[in-house]
Amino acid sequence: MRQHLGVNTRILIVEDDERIRTAVRMALEEEGWEVEETASGEGALNAFTRQPADVVLIDIMLPGIDGFEVCRSIRRMGDVPIVMVTARADSHDVVAGLEAGADDYLRKPFDPKELSARIRALLRRTRTGDVPSPRIQVGQLEVLPEEGVVRHAGIEIHLTRTEFRLLVELATAEGRVLSREDLLERVWGYDYFGDGRLVDVHVRRLRTKIEPDPANPRYVMTVRGMGYKLQG
Amino acid sequence: MADDPTRLGLGNRIAMLFAIGGLLVSSLLAISTMVLTRRQLVESREAAAAAMAVGNATRLSNQLTPDSTIEDLPTIADSLTRVEGGKRIIRLGDDWLPAPELDRDDLPPILVQRLAQRSAGQILAPVRGDSHFVVGIPLTAFDADYYAVVDLVEIEETLEDLQIVLLGAGAATTILAAILGWWASQRTLRPLRRVRSAAEAIAGGHLDTRLAPQADPDLDRLSDSFNEMASALEERIYRDARFASDVSHELRSPLTTLMAGVGVLEARRNELSERSRTALDLLIADLERFNRLVNDLLEISGYDAGVASLDLTEVDVVRFLEATVATNATLSLSVPSATQSLVIDADKRRLARVMANLLDNAQRYGGGATVVTLEHGETIQIAVEDDGPGIPKLERQQIFDRFARGSAGGSRGGGGGTGLGLSLVTEDLRLHGGRVWAEDRPDGHAGARFVLELPLSPTYTNSEMNH
Repeated sequence: MRQHLGVNTRILIVEDDERIRTAVRMALEEEGWEVEETASGEGALNAFTRQPADVVLIDIMLPGIDGFEVCRSIRRMGDVPIVMVTARADSHDVVAGLEAGADDYLRKPFDPKELSARIRALLRRTRTGDVPSPRIQVGQLEVLPEEGVVRHAGIEIHLTRTEFRLLVELATAEGRVLSREDLLERVWGYDYFGDGRLVDVHVRRLRTKIEPDPANPRYVMTVRGMGYKLQG
Repeated sequence: MADDPTRLGLGNRIAMLFAIGGLLVSSLLAISTMVLTRRQLVESREAAAAAMAVGNATRLSNQLTPDSTIEDLPTIADSLTRVEGGKRIIRLGDDWLPAPELDRDDLPPILVQRLAQRSAGQILAPVRGDSHFVVGIPLTAFDADYYAVVDLVEIEETLEDLQIVLLGAGAATTILAAILGWWASQRTLRPLRRVRSAAEAIAGGHLDTRLAPQADPDLDRLSDSFNEMASALEERIYRDARFASDVSHELRSPLTTLMAGVGVLEARRNELSERSRTALDLLIADLERFNRLVNDLLEISGYDAGVASLDLTEVDVVRFLEATVATNATLSLSVPSATQSLVIDADKRRLARVMANLLDNAQRYGGGATVVTLEHGETIQIAVEDDGPGIPKLERQQIFDRFARGSAGGSRGGGGGTGLGLSLVTEDLRLHGGRVWAEDRPDGHAGARFVLELPLSPTYTNSEMNH
């Protein structure tokens, strides 16, 4: 069962409840990952500045700097995959967490096997994967999947890895419509029952970066009743 | 409630009382008007006839001579004052001068006898079937009598007309009174109706429903008490719901630790003794059940507190059901052949839980679901059938209650359910504007069939689109 994606894969856990922190650290160590833990937002930022992790797991409810703020700060420092942990069931926290830059979320209590699966999916996303085309041109948008580079009118655009994978999936579909479920499966590794809001919020984030006018998108189009497509 | 069909509602009763009152008052007025008018008319006719009769009798007396015979009478009589509808009969000795269409036999015998005793008289009596006023005056100087017969036809006609008018007025008054009564009752009942709709709204889950202040001080007290009651109820329900929510919420943290800890043990189960492994399996199974219970309670308390909301996304029901039955090898899906896709706005997580709960229920009590059917027309109907013993008719309502498992619950399935599954199904469907029920299988075989009905163009009670 255990997959060693690399001896040096480091995971930063930001969780103020000591028992949860310890138990989750032990569960992740069982997967062979190196785990660093911290109890506060300040600690998380210090630890991340000292040595960036490969994946960050952040509890939203933190004393001091809250999880959303930690998420935004870490996002500013790089495109490390972030998993949000929320205890609240309401949809506001989930969307706010994703908009703060989280790549995925888990709801407490979670099965440690599910957490490992999420982390593995995010780590897989860090590699460009098997992409059929070395270069895709859509309008003024130029996607180089192998190099992980996107340019609009010749100017390089910085995307997080999840945003990049999303764009590559849409681009390789060559104008076909991809449903939320298709994208959930291809980008996040979820089955049909994954949360479509992951796709919606990431499409929104992607649009703010690649669209000349994000309010009136001309590349990433919503197809009512079907999903999303990329058009030139 | 006024379920007794023989009992009229308050509004109708008030309208009826008004109508009866209107009828009584108008009848009383009509009758007294008739009586008074009749008396007035008859009396004046009588007075006029009597005066004329006295005058005519005097003149007759003056013109008669002791030698006058019956042959002289017509001439004399022609000179007498006439009155319309009036006729005269004169007796002279044994002879009678009849009037046209009237002779002595028509005169009331009492009056004739009275005059035989030489005293005058007047009487209201029927003559040839019609009411007439008859005045008889003996001419004392001669052996003669003068009778004036005055008909009251005109008066009767007038009174008939008046009667028609009064009847019409009475009917109109009665109808008007009924309308007024109905209107007044509706007006009086309007605040009550507002109370009723507010009570219904509260019963329907809109706990924040309140009555607006009333202009009338009597009604104001009613709405005040109603609002106080509603506030107390709301606070109490919210407190209970919040408590359940807080408890479930507080359980999430220790559950997270437990699940992570058990996960570590499970990863190292090879290092455990046989006995420890059995204990671990028990832990894992009941931790899973505990987790489900906490989640279900949290959801239920969300409904109770009225904070449950839909995370709407586009859901293709066909693909959704395909993905649902894919989890179960023995389960088949039946979709109308013409239906390629059927997209609705729905909360996929809740719908998935609904299906999971129904399949779990079929597994627990019906030996596993056999077929899932999709039908759609004006609504979407998704049916889940199993080959089990079915559900007794009496229990088909109650199985949707919280912690109710039906008569089979104790003996079958071996536990493991939270007892909240079907009530969550009900709540989730209601939030989507749909409903759920249990019925017999249409093919006549034993087994339960649960039908979910969803609106095709859903009207959501609480919607939240995340686009």
